[in-house]
This record gives sequence, structure tokens and C-alpha cells, in this order.
Amino acid sequence: MNVVRLILAEILHRRFNFFLSLLAVVTAVALFVGFFTTGEASERETTRLMRDIGFNLRIVPKETDMERFWAQGYSERTMPEEYVQRFAAKENISYTHLLAILQKKVSWQDRQIVLTGVASQEVLPGGQKKSPMKTVYGQQGVGIKPGAVYVGYEIAKALQLKKGDTIDLLGETMTVAACLAESGSEDDIRITANLADAQRMLGEEGRINEIKALECLCRDENADSIDVLRTQIEEILPEAKVTQLRVIAKARESQRIMIEKYLAFILPVIVVVCAAWIGVLAMINVRDRREEIGILRALGYGSFRIAVLFLGKAALIGVLGAVLGYLAGTGLALRFGPGIFKVTASGIAPVASLLFWSLLAAPGFAALSSFIPTVTAVTQDPAITLRTE
Amino acid sequence: MIRFENVSRIYRTRRGEVKALDNVTLHVEANEFLVVRGPSGSGKTTLLLAAGAMHRPTSGRVLVKGDDLYAMSPRERAAFRARHIGFVFQMFHLIPYLTVLENVMLGGGAVASRARREEATQMLERLDIQNRESHKPAELSAGERQRTAIARAMLGRPKLILADEPTGNLDPENARQVIERLSEFHRDGVTVVVVTHGAVADQHASRIIHLAQGRIAQEAKRG
Repeated sequence: MNVVRLILAEILHRRFNFFLSLLAVVTAVALFVGFFTTGEASERETTRLMRDIGFNLRIVPKETDMERFWAQGYSERTMPEEYVQRFAAKENISYTHLLAILQKKVSWQDRQIVLTGVASQEVLPGGQKKSPMKTVYGQQGVGIKPGAVYVGYEIAKALQLKKGDTIDLLGETMTVAACLAESGSEDDIRITANLADAQRMLGEEGRINEIKALECLCRDENADSIDVLRTQIEEILPEAKVTQLRVIAKARESQRIMIEKYLAFILPVIVVVCAAWIGVLAMINVRDRREEIGILRALGYGSFRIAVLFLGKAALIGVLGAVLGYLAGTGLALRFGPGIFKVTASGIAPVASLLFWSLLAAPGFAALSSFIPTVTAVTQDPAITLRTE
Repeated sequence: MIRFENVSRIYRTRRGEVKALDNVTLHVEANEFLVVRGPSGSGKTTLLLAAGAMHRPTSGRVLVKGDDLYAMSPRERAAFRARHIGFVFQMFHLIPYLTVLENVMLGGGAVASRARREEATQMLERLDIQNRESHKPAELSAGERQRTAIARAMLGRPKLILADEPTGNLDPENARQVIERLSEFHRDGVTVVVVTHGAVADQHASRIIHLAQGRIAQEAKRG
């Protein structure tokens, strides 16, 4: 008698037990797949939201007078623009974005404005450059095209500027790409231009006066220490120094730790609950099949073949559960993910590799959960069953 | 065929020790039809299971065809059972989700093959239940279930059949038919050991032993 036929016939006979066991695996796999499918979107979303709050690390020229820096909002000194790439090449420092900035207060049209040049591309870890962003955040434009400017609210209002107007700015003709909404901050008197344009207008070609880093953390065990970051950055940027916006950094760190703790708690709980669920059902199955085990023993079935009956069933439940769980988890992520992660909703997509990992892990998980019941079945004394039945 | 040498089986319970078999020595010849009788708790089933390599005695040796069953490894014992021993039980112990034919094919060592299927079909014909081969046990009468169990026990043509109260759940007519079937196999050269309360098998027996309190209290040769 074929073992596979025995397993399938038993499954058909005890459909409810099979269904409940399958449900346990489907639940576990679906939750994992759902978490991981939306995980990347969650990470991107967090980054975007945190970026909107502001950058946490500001790297300024070494000779900067910090009292004047805080009073003016920028450094009067400059440093080489290539520091951005040098910073990006440094290992042991993690960050999500670097932004090179040159800004200065200048007189224009009988008024004081802040002219800010922002690099047209953000630098990602490893030194890769990222395509210009379409968004404007913190009232700083990123990805401003050469020849274009964003005009702060007060300037636009006073000079009656609107989108598409051209202005003569420090000897350069620029097009108004956008007039920004009132911010209630210094940004209202800021004109933001492409970094190269600003460098030219200010006579500071190849120079910047600040690098802003988003979610910058030292990968050292004592990652929270600004001193470690300072030491590392000073090694590579001798003409620079670092200041950290501690409140933002702290908030980011707290959020990251909270999410990690939450996942570290919830995922093992799911695994343990589902394993116990499968284990209990497998134990019930063994009890229901005491007579069957006894007779198979009497017919000469050895421990291995008896174990194969139970572990084979568990593995089959695992394979089916992996496929169904993957489909359910992906479906849930696609259905509800965009509602939760509104900013990066378009990035939520099925992750095919999760099916592979589910198919690899779920049968093992189900078999492992059924291990104790299987041992009970194998070590059960058939004589007791056959004598008492 | 079977040799019990000073076999004892003691169950230890909270209320003390129970001697199911008490220093039993017994020799069952090849092609013998042995009937074992005795009241409940006299040790009949324990004796049968010990002879079937299913229940290790507390002391003594059980030899079948010259092999000491409990000197073997569990795997060897399982293989030995599959090759040489067929079991028939009072409760039939058919697997409820398999058809009659599939239940029969479980016998004889779990080797699935076309020859095994043909043999199973022949066995069903011999026991007059070929028309039930695709039925599930729940759809059979008690007599048909027991005949299915006998067919399963005989698959692979074992030389020893151990039957534990095979007529216990049957009406007199079905009980008679079942014993007749066992007797047919006995005539074909199979050694049959039947444990029973009643006298239904007596007329086919070559020997009858009575067990009482784990000991052979009485022994009678027939024919």
C-alpha cells in the first residue's frame, strides 16, 4: 500500500483536522508574507516621513563660528563639494540621504534674501546618486533644474512673482519654477536654486557650506554617540565638523527601536502560537489514530513508515500552507498596504522570493511542530491499543 | 513453530503487580490449530501478542520458527511480523478511510505492487467478498469486515495466523463461517492460534489449552 495514498486518504477522511492544521500554516505564512511585503514600503514610508521632519546631521566647515551659524542659519565658511562623495564612501556610517547645500544671505531687489543652492541629486549610501525628487520638503527644493528657482512666500508676494516668471538674480536670468506657500519661517525669504547656479551666482564654484544627512547613524555598537560620528567624519573630512539635531536623532532612534522590538516580539509569538496549534492538532490526530497505528504495527509497519505517515502529512500541509499563505499574505498586503502606507503605496508589490522561502520553511515548520506527536505515535505500544480497543 | 520458554509478563499498576503470564512454557507445532480458552484476564491476549512479536515478556523467551523474537531489533521484528505472521482481531481493526481492497493490500509487509493487488483480489474472491472490494469498512456487515481482516492477515501467505477473539463480535452463523475460513487456511498448511471464550472453534482444533491466572491450567489434544 502506497504511503502517499494512505496520507491522502486519511486527509480526506479527517478533513476538519486537516483544514485546521492547514489554517495554522496559512495564517503563519500569510502574516510573515504580509509583514515582509509591506516591510519595504514601511521602511520607505518611515524614511520619507522622517525626511519631512528634517535632517538629523549637519556637516559644516571646520572654522565655522557656531554662534553665528545658529544665529544666521548657515555657515559663513565653505568646504569642497567633493566632500559629499568622500562622506558617502566612508564605511560604518549609515544614512539614507546626503544633500550638499550652499547658502548665503544676499541683498537683492532692496531686500535681504537667503539664496540657497541645493544639489540636483541626492547621494545614496555607496555614493550612488539619486534621481531628482519632485517633492519639496522642509521648504527646500531638491532636484531643481538648472536655471530654475523656487521663491519663498514673502519674496513672491512682495515682488508679485508667479510660476513661469523670469527674474534677474545676481547677474543670472532664472525662471520661477514655483512660488512656495507661507511657512512662517526663514524659508519665506529664501530663493532656492540648483547648486551649480547658486555657486556661480555667489562666486563659490565647487564649494558648499553644509552637508545634510538624513538618518545618519554610526554602525558602531555605541552608535548613539555623536563623539564617534565626529571622530569618524573628521578622519575623512578634515575641513569639516559635525553637529547633530539630537531631538530628531533621538526620535528616529526611538522609532526604529520600537519597530524592531515590536517585530521581535510579534513574529516569534506568531510562530510559537501556530506551532502549538499544529502540535495540538497533530497530537489529537495521533490519539484518533491509535488503533490504526496499532494495526499497522501488527501488519509489520516499522517506526520509520509510521513516522513518514505523520511527517509526510505535516510536510504536505506545509507545502499547501506555504502556497495558500503566500497568496493570502500577498493579497492582504496589496489590498490593505496602500491604505496604510499612502506615500509609498505604489511600491507595494508581490515579492516572488517569499514564495520560495515559504515553500522552504513552512513544510519544515509543520513537520517540526508535529515532531512530538510523531514520536508519541512511533513509541506507542500497539499491544496496549490492540488489547484495549 | 512457536515455543514459549518460561514466559512471564507482569504489569505493574498502582495497585500492585498483575501477572498476565506466569512462567508459561508452551510448544505449538507447525500446522497446528491451537485454541486458547480462558476467562477474561487469564492472559490469552497477552500470550497471543507475545507470540506475534508485539509484546515483550518480562522474562523468558518466545521463539517463532526458531528465531528469538525479542532478541531481534524492533525493525527486524516488524519485518518478521510482515513476512511470517497474520493477525486477526475481535474488533477487525480495518482502516476506515481505505476500501476493502486497500485494507487487504496493507497486509503482507506494505509492498505495493501489481502482484500484491492481484493476490489481494484473489484473497477477496476466496473469502467471497470480491463484490465489496471498493466499499469502505463502514458499509460492510460484521462478518464481511472480519473476512476482510482475514484476507488482510493472509496476504503474503504467512505461515502463522494469530486470531484474538475473531468471532467475538459476530452472530453464530458468521462466527461459524469465520472459523471455517481459518480452518481452510489451516488445511493449506498454516499454523493457526485462536484465542476465544466460546467453543465455536473447538471442532477444528488440534489442541485446546485453558489459561487461568496466566498459567496453562488444562490442555487437551484432539483428533
